Amino acid sequence: MSTAYPLPTNLSKTTVANTASLLRIVALGLISAAAIASRLFAVINFESIIHEFDPWFNYRATRVLAAKGFYEFWNWFDPTAWYPLGRVVGGTVYPGLMATSGVIYNFLHAFNLPVDIRNICVLLAPGFSALTAWATYMFTKEMKDESAGLLAAAFIGIVPGYISRSVAGSYDNEAIAIFLLMFTFYCWIKALKTGSALFGTLAAVFYFYMVAAWGGYAFITNMIPVHALALMLMGRFSSRLYVAYCSWYAIGTLSSMQVPFVGFQPVRTSEHMGALGVFGLLQIVAFAQLARSHLSSKQFQNLLTVAVIVMGVVGTFGFIALTYMGWIAPWTGRFYSLWDTGYAKKYIPIIASVSEHQPTAWPSFFMDLQFLIFLFPAGVVLCFRELRDEHVFVIIYAVVASYFAGVMVRLMLTLTPVVCVASAVAFSSLMDTYLDPTQPEAEGESRPAEVDASAASNGSTASTASKKEKEKAKKPAAGGALSDIVAATSSSKKSKGVWGLDTRLVVIAHSLLMLGFFVFHCTWVTSSAYSSPSVVLASTNADGSQHIIDDFREAYYWLRQNTAEDAVVMSWWDYGYQIAGMADRPTLVDNNTWNNTHIATVGKAMSSSEEVAYPILRKHDVDYVLVIFGGLLGYSGDDINKFLWMVRIAQGVWPDEIQEPNYFTPQGEYRVDDRASSAMRNSLMYKMSYYRFAELFGGGQAVDRVRQQTMPKTGPTLDYLDEAFTSENWIVRIYQVRKEDDLGRDLKSANAFAQGKKRKRTKPVSKRRAITV
Amino acid sequence: MLSLYTFILLIFGLAVVLDAKSSSGNSVLVILDPARRPDYSIFFDGLQEKGYDLTFRAPKDETPVLIQDDIPSFAHVVFFESDTKHFAKDITPQTLVELLSGKTNLLIALSQKQNLLTSFAPEFSLILPPPGSSLLSYFPERKENNSVVPIEVPSSSNIISAGTAPVWFSGVPFVLGNNPLIFPILNAPAESFAADAEGITPDALADAAEKGGEGLWAGSQLAVAAGFQTLGNARVAWLGGVELFSNEFAKKEISKGVKSGNQQAAADIAAWTFQESLVLRIDSTTHHLVNTSVPKEHYTINDVVEYIAQISRFNPNKGKWEPYSGINDLQLEFTMLDPHIRTALPPVPGSPGKYAVTLRVPDRHGVFKFVINHKRKGWTYLQSSTTVPVVPPRHDGYPRFLSAAWPYYAGAISTSLGFFVFSALYLAGDARETNLRKAKGAKAQ
Repeated sequence: MSTAYPLPTNLSKTTVANTASLLRIVALGLISAAAIASRLFAVINFESIIHEFDPWFNYRATRVLAAKGFYEFWNWFDPTAWYPLGRVVGGTVYPGLMATSGVIYNFLHAFNLPVDIRNICVLLAPGFSALTAWATYMFTKEMKDESAGLLAAAFIGIVPGYISRSVAGSYDNEAIAIFLLMFTFYCWIKALKTGSALFGTLAAVFYFYMVAAWGGYAFITNMIPVHALALMLMGRFSSRLYVAYCSWYAIGTLSSMQVPFVGFQPVRTSEHMGALGVFGLLQIVAFAQLARSHLSSKQFQNLLTVAVIVMGVVGTFGFIALTYMGWIAPWTGRFYSLWDTGYAKKYIPIIASVSEHQPTAWPSFFMDLQFLIFLFPAGVVLCFRELRDEHVFVIIYAVVASYFAGVMVRLMLTLTPVVCVASAVAFSSLMDTYLDPTQPEAEGESRPAEVDASAASNGSTASTASKKEKEKAKKPAAGGALSDIVAATSSSKKSKGVWGLDTRLVVIAHSLLMLGFFVFHCTWVTSSAYSSPSVVLASTNADGSQHIIDDFREAYYWLRQNTAEDAVVMSWWDYGYQIAGMADRPTLVDNNTWNNTHIATVGKAMSSSEEVAYPILRKHDVDYVLVIFGGLLGYSGDDINKFLWMVRIAQGVWPDEIQEPNYFTPQGEYRVDDRASSAMRNSLMYKMSYYRFAELFGGGQAVDRVRQQTMPKTGPTLDYLDEAFTSENWIVRIYQVRKEDDLGRDLKSANAFAQGKKRKRTKPVSKRRAITV
Repeated sequence: MLSLYTFILLIFGLAVVLDAKSSSGNSVLVILDPARRPDYSIFFDGLQEKGYDLTFRAPKDETPVLIQDDIPSFAHVVFFESDTKHFAKDITPQTLVELLSGKTNLLIALSQKQNLLTSFAPEFSLILPPPGSSLLSYFPERKENNSVVPIEVPSSSNIISAGTAPVWFSGVPFVLGNNPLIFPILNAPAESFAADAEGITPDALADAAEKGGEGLWAGSQLAVAAGFQTLGNARVAWLGGVELFSNEFAKKEISKGVKSGNQQAAADIAAWTFQESLVLRIDSTTHHLVNTSVPKEHYTINDVVEYIAQISRFNPNKGKWEPYSGINDLQLEFTMLDPHIRTALPPVPGSPGKYAVTLRVPDRHGVFKFVINHKRKGWTYLQSSTTVPVVPPRHDGYPRFLSAAWPYYAGAISTSLGFFVFSALYLAGDARETNLRKAKGAKAQ
């Protein structure tokens, strides 16, 4: 046997194994460190602060849990949310995240380490990303080998698609959910491979944790049954599958029903019916197997045909009947919007109005995954080469997640792990081939590949021999890759390989370069795009230094310090959690968008005239109204840009009073300048946004920098609201709702009187009416 | 130090004793030309006797100011000088409204001339006849000028004490608009009408009559004195003419040997305006679970809760608040957006001033409010709102054992039993099998 480079020969097998395992541990440690470190940009560039919107609620809930204990949290009724409806937090929340932080908090305090709960919350996501890297390593190890596992761990550690949801401060359910997702899948694969009820139970336990942590658990609930079904259809039913699935499903479902928010959903909603159906099918198939072993094949054939027909008919009709009777809830709107991307916009504008529910743009695939997106198909194709049970899983996962990632931006998150796994498989195959020191025999002499002892390609037991087609696999032509598989599976006898060091070096150097670029890309994307807390904005001064725009906190702290403790604040729902978290004031609606009518009420108040809005405000005891206005600074995520969603959502409930076309000019343009439609100019939102805006320009041209339109010289006037606070850059504007007039007049005429305007002389109305008939 | 403290206390105590019978303060500013002051001396003396501290100010004087540093300087303002065309700078309709929001009470007399009140009155939904009009009546036949009209005091009035003789009136009638806060104290007689002094019907009346609105400025829908209570419980009395308060009318006989009721009516109207009569307040409201006494921070759905309000009425004779159980139509609402419960809040017999009701909290969680909103004409508005969240039961607040769940209990028990039996049989059977095998082995050997 000739080798491309000299190998030490005096090493014992145990030394090699020990060294390899030490290196693996060190590598995993470094990967974890890198994963955590790259998520700390947000803390270094800004500060240790909770980011965005939902994390603020999670943080508030965690504080309650840390301060009052688990049972108080469990029974927490939050009277300040959804005023005056209130929110039963314990029953409407996935408590996994808060419970995790609470456990860590109590654990540290038990050791007298007085760590602030905020810091635990801020750093939870980076911490769990290290665990995710480990889980991905374990998972990929099952797919190929340890080296692929390490690569996958490194990829998932720094890939922006996952970092986007797990930077320090991004204290959201996804922060721990991806770890749970990967670990559940690992346990499932392990259970399937070994047929172990222990691993099946472990999968169920982690599935339960996942259910408690994230609404995306439905992905697991459907992935595993689909995998099991695919295996059965491929004729791969085995007792291992039976044990693994049944132990997972039975324990997982029962335990998932312990989460109050989930409750009886696993047996009552369509999304969970697939898992139940596969469970039933498995029993039937298992029974059929049993029957086959006891019956003659003729009898069995007859029995099978009859049974399949009867069960199919009964099952289908049963399902339909149960759905009609209301025992099984039909698919929810969110589910439909996964299949028809236009569905949400038409029927449930509230879902469509969330930016992360929009379809994904092509560039964001590259932005989030960089070169992994090219390796990903190669990895999937490589899975076909062996097509063991676990490879089927990866293939299904890849197909399903790719589709979902294309439908919704936020589901990019579920695609990322499988991309990392598949890419790692592909990349490590490439590396195996080119680092493998054995040179092929000159002639087609069949000889089995030796287990190679080099540290670089440690322990690839299955098929190190035939991997030369990687140089072709680099060409993305699918036909070529497929023919390679055919070649690989058919001509495994012929030993192929790479001669010499030069070709190896070219490919390896090139691959390493790609890895290097990947690291640079990830670091750059993380630091520039995904580390902004969005509570604090940053801009650059003329001299290049950083300028912090802190309007949100300025305004929220103003509310906290200058208003009555029970003053109700109305704003669009995006800011509900932040107001509750930072200003500690009751809000009408927040990011937990469970009540469409209540949100539509706020939308109606915002989009109607003052006279119409005022009774709504009074009815809901609103004291302050908060709007976000970006026109001065050019902050494009402001309320005027979201305004059409408010109109649409309000229109969904009051189609007679609010009509979207009224807010456009006759030419169909969305304008805010002097050509704006009258409905637009009279709307509360418009008035609050542009109240006294023109004065700021001292008689000059007032320009809205977001919409690039020139505002009229005289701005709107307000009769029912008083300006209470405007932040430094005018991003947040707060208005106080006036009390009813002392003399029982409407506030408009009271205002006119206070300004000294004379009232028109009234004459008494006749109380007697002439009889006209 | 201590003595100084006691001294101050003593002064305050004295002040309380010397205090007028008003519930809101005894300082009164009278805006009136000094020359006309003696014309109303009976009224003013009456006020001073009660303990009011009168300050007089000519309409064009700059001092004393009505509002100092955004705080009204007087508890009550009497506005008798309405014939004047021009007033000092700080007397404008706007400042008068500001006074009202500062809880100052106003007693305002209108005049036939056009002045600041002409633009002020419409804010109270008071519709004035054209300038120069006054109330005329040819009935009953009498020696006096037709513009001096005797008016019967309505027996149902709760402001002017019952049994008061008819009063003499001379001045402007007005119509009340649709503002629910205003109500008539004295209506014009049915035979009276508004016209200018010569008795010629003004154009407005003619116009209105032509348009089919016959007799608009006539009849008993006209008022000559009206009360207005702002949402902040400041009181305004509008009078068609200041003569009602004059010494002349007070002494004038209404019929042979019977003195007019003017003095009494004037005192009563002033008493109402100055927060002496018909003044109520809610001292306290509490709520608690039935059979307990401590208010809870929140209630669970379907709890049975008792709500208690303590209400007092001001007794002007003693100058003290006394428990008052005389309200029979008080209502309590338990509201979240809409009232979920609206129930009578009756007085508790035997405990004066206490009103209580027991109610079952609705089967709906949310932030509820106990609301009392009692508005009756003339009386102080009673308003109270207590916020109480209603929460679903705690995790251990549900019944632990349900008879409806027997199928599930049976299932669980039978499965457990089955498992036990199965295990026992399996283990035993296994033992026998091994025994058998052993036995077989033994045999084979």
